[in-house]
This record gives sequence, structure tokens and C-alpha cells, in this order.
Amino acid sequence: MVYTRKNQRDLTGAERRKFVAAVLELKRTGAYDRFVRTHIDHYTADGEGRRRIAHMTPSFLPWHRKFLLEFETALRRIDPTVSVPYWDWTRDNSPASSIWREDFMGGNGRRADLQVMTGPFAHSAGRWTITQSMTDTRYLTRDFGRPRDPIALPTAAQLDEVMRERVYDAAPWNSTSATGFRNALEGWASGRGNDRFRIHNRVHRWVGGLMLGGGSVNDPVFWLHHAFVDLVWSRWQQRNPGAAYLPAEPPPLGDAQYRKVVARHEPMAPWGVTPVSMFDHSRIYRYA
Amino acid sequence: MIVPRRVALRSLFALAVTAFTGGALGRVASRPEPGGTRDPHAFDEVYRGRRLLGFSGPGGEPTVLVDGWPLHLMRCADGGYVTPIDHYESCPTPLAATRAAVDELGTARLSPLAGAHGVPTDPTGGSPRGVHA
Repeated sequence: MVYTRKNQRDLTGAERRKFVAAVLELKRTGAYDRFVRTHIDHYTADGEGRRRIAHMTPSFLPWHRKFLLEFETALRRIDPTVSVPYWDWTRDNSPASSIWREDFMGGNGRRADLQVMTGPFAHSAGRWTITQSMTDTRYLTRDFGRPRDPIALPTAAQLDEVMRERVYDAAPWNSTSATGFRNALEGWASGRGNDRFRIHNRVHRWVGGLMLGGGSVNDPVFWLHHAFVDLVWSRWQQRNPGAAYLPAEPPPLGDAQYRKVVARHEPMAPWGVTPVSMFDHSRIYRYA
Repeated sequence: MIVPRRVALRSLFALAVTAFTGGALGRVASRPEPGGTRDPHAFDEVYRGRRLLGFSGPGGEPTVLVDGWPLHLMRCADGGYVTPIDHYESCPTPLAATRAAVDELGTARLSPLAGAHGVPTDPTGGSPRGVHA
């Protein structure tokens, strides 16, 4: 039975409550923190001479599609009526947007220590203690728009530009790929100042706090952000039905990316699924 | 007049930071090694109240401690570095990446996860030891 992922702004109050309750239950059992750790353990940068599976790499999109599906499956074991909503940050692009309300994601961090003080994921509410993190801080942090050097969320026009790419990815298959849909959406760019942060990366920067680093999954908005990234990929696939995952074959011996990236039919850790097997989600979920 | 005020505040902040840390920033370490050669990755400064110590690791790679806690410098294809605290800003040098991490740290200290270096033993791209890549 195909289920629907909805825009978070269209959820009813009951739907919001059910999603939050399922996330809190996953946290209580310890399963949520294992998702945090999975993401931490698979972040490899592209100058380290190691195989990259989740970031700065062609499999960025299928890896996160599978990661979201695993999370959503865990949520649906708790409540089969729940799915992961998406956050269209081109539209809901301010700290005043309803996504940050007290009954959903909660708001910005406070000025003194960036601690989130509102909503179900505030540490002070008693059900959200950070355990897998790059610092000893036990509370969720956010720093909307980085006031000390302000940055805005990506615009619809910027996203349109990404949608004009016609090829899935391009050599050298990393953060310096100048063309290709994957890096345009992931958002690595040269240049100066805030221009270096684009689309997906820029949203992590805009939310700030824990969303900026290796422990980004500690902020539940991670899932809503990545559901929208996945939606954008899904729409792009519909527009470009002939654009297959690249690279089709593993880069050969002698290529700088030899054994560094995942080709179309190679398995992705930790699940062993291939990029091509993640290409069509239409029999599992759809976007409203 | 929001923008000019913000710019003015930012300039004031920059001045304050410079005044506070300027002396330390001017003393970037150039301690000679016992053999007489200077460690190319050496720095020793106080930035925003944090002790930043840089040196060459066993493989010659840049290594850094923040208040004694290791901070993983992740090399990027553009030649820069990101850290586990800030995954999205590739900084041109290890020192710049360390300062960028401190800018985001607030009053927190680093955890062991921030300094662990993974060993690539899983051919499918994971770090089965559970260490940060």
C-alpha cells in the first residue's frame, strides 16, 4: 500500500501530534540515537582518500533516500498512520513559519547558549537528551539564519536552477563537480562568503546549532529537510526519465575516484542496497 | 536603518574580538623541532578563550587539539578542511577550520566523537568500528 508524504504546513493538528509522538517514542527506545550514529559513522570528506557513501558523492541522494525509509519504517512500526512530512524551505522560509511552532519542531535556540527552549524536543521538556554528538552538550541547539553573519534559506529561483540540470552527476564525482544534478542539489560550491553554501548545505547552515555538524540527525527537522531534498530529486526524475544514476560503472584503476565512490550496481553500507534499487520509490510512497 | 546598524554592530564585534585575541593571534607558534626543522602544521594560540594547538600527526597530517580535545580535520577535494562541528564550510587551512569550529562551539567542549579517526575496513563505505570518518 503506497503511502503519502505531506507538506508539513498541510498537516492537521492530529497529524502533527502523531508524528511528534512517534519520534519521541523512537527516542525513548534508543532507536533514534542509532540513526544519529549511522549518519555520523558514514560521513567521509572527499579529500581523505577513503570511500564516500553519504556526502560529497553520487550516492548522496540514494543513501539518504534509504536512510529516510529506514527511519520512516521504524516510525510506522510505532504508528502505521505516520509518514515523514517535508519542509519546503523555499516557501516556509522564516523563523516565524508554522514548522517552528510549539506543537511541532519547536523554535530557535536562545541567544546565550543556542538552547532550544520550546516544543517537544526542548531538553527542558524532559524527553530529548542528546547522546550521540560532537560536543558534551545534552540539549538541542539552533541558530536560525546565523545572526552574526546572516544567511537566508534557498529561494525557489535557486531551486529552479538546480532543476535545469540534465545529467545526474559528473566527474570528478565529489564536492567539486561543476555540473550535474547531485552536486547542484547537495550544494557544494566555490566562491566567497555565503555563496559557498547552496541548497541542501545552505539549509543545514541556516538552521545552525546541531544541524551544522556531524550530529545533525539529533535535530528532528533533519528528516523534514531531507524529505524535501528527496522530493526535489523525485520531481527531477519525473522530468528526466532517461537520466540514470551515474557513474554506471566503478571508476577504473588509475582514476582518482577508484574505489572512492559507489557505482550504479554497487552496495551501499550499512544496508547493502544499490543506488539503482533506490531509484524508483513509487511503489512505497508518494509526495503530495 | 537596520542594515547599517547591523553592519556597525558586526564591525564593533570584530574590533572587540581583535582586541581580545589579537595578542594571541600574533603569536602563531613557530616552535622549532628538536632537529631544527619547523613543523609546518604547528600553531598555538588562544582564540575566543580556547587553546588551539596544531601539529603534524604520525602520518604528517595536520592534527589539532581544542582545549586538549582532538578535533578531526576532514580534508576536502578543494584542498580545504571541514570539521565534525561544521560540516559545510570548507576552510583553506587547518587553523581556519579550527577557528570556524570554535565559533560554533559556544561554551561546549568537544566529545570523543569529534576527534575519532575511522579506519576504512568496510569496503562498502561504512566505519564498522563506529568511529567518525
